[in-house]
Amino acid sequence: MKLQDNKFYKKWFKDAWPYITGAILLSLFQIVTFATSGNPWGVSGVFANWGAWMFEAVGGSVDRWYYFSSSGAQATLDGGLLNDPGSLRNLGIIFGALFATLAASQFKIKKIKSKKQIVAAAFGGLLMGYGARIAYGCNIGALFSGIASLSLSGWVFAFFMFFGAVVGSKLLVKYFM
Amino acid sequence: MKEVTIDCLGEACPVPLIKAENALKEIEVGDLLIVQIDHSCAMKNVPEWARKNGHNVEIEEVDDGEWEVVIEKV
Repeated sequence: MKLQDNKFYKKWFKDAWPYITGAILLSLFQIVTFATSGNPWGVSGVFANWGAWMFEAVGGSVDRWYYFSSSGAQATLDGGLLNDPGSLRNLGIIFGALFATLAASQFKIKKIKSKKQIVAAAFGGLLMGYGARIAYGCNIGALFSGIASLSLSGWVFAFFMFFGAVVGSKLLVKYFM
Repeated sequence: MKEVTIDCLGEACPVPLIKAENALKEIEVGDLLIVQIDHSCAMKNVPEWARKNGHNVEIEEVDDGEWEVVIEKV
């Protein structure tokens, strides 16, 4: 029998898992993350550290930057990428996603359709990155982990993210349809 | 019977879905709408929306990470 016809291959690797399965696994693994690393799950804060390491690699210094002024932030930067649970986890997400798409034979390098896409992606990415740092969290650290920690801030984040999504959808329909 | 193809390759959700919704309004009952996609979440939400509205839907995997959602308007 060919692998493509195997029902377990189809179920586990080829077809998308149901949303409920994803939700349960995310909940379980965020508990594991909290228990083993001592910090709730976050994604975008790690990118600020990656940026700091890149800046240091070309001779810059972030020692006097307010964002990195806490002793915890300095310890993370001094410890390096391999001692930072968040960095390892983000690498795991990237390589895990690559494995999942390769295992399903769905890997494809997508073409860029228009210059508009480049502008929108770069502008959107900058806004998201800036917003996530100024809010001390993205939709994972501030929203998901906030709500999971029974913090009111997560719900406030969700409320305003909803309005952001409404505005984003309007812009999408206006410029990309 | 008419066949209309819309090229949504390289477009992320929810653009393929909105384009499919608009295109389906333009065609007659019995016509086919073929939506070309390479964003796996469109493989979920485009057929889901079409089936919910009672149309006949088939998904063909045409290449690695590339699909055609064939919708027959009912």
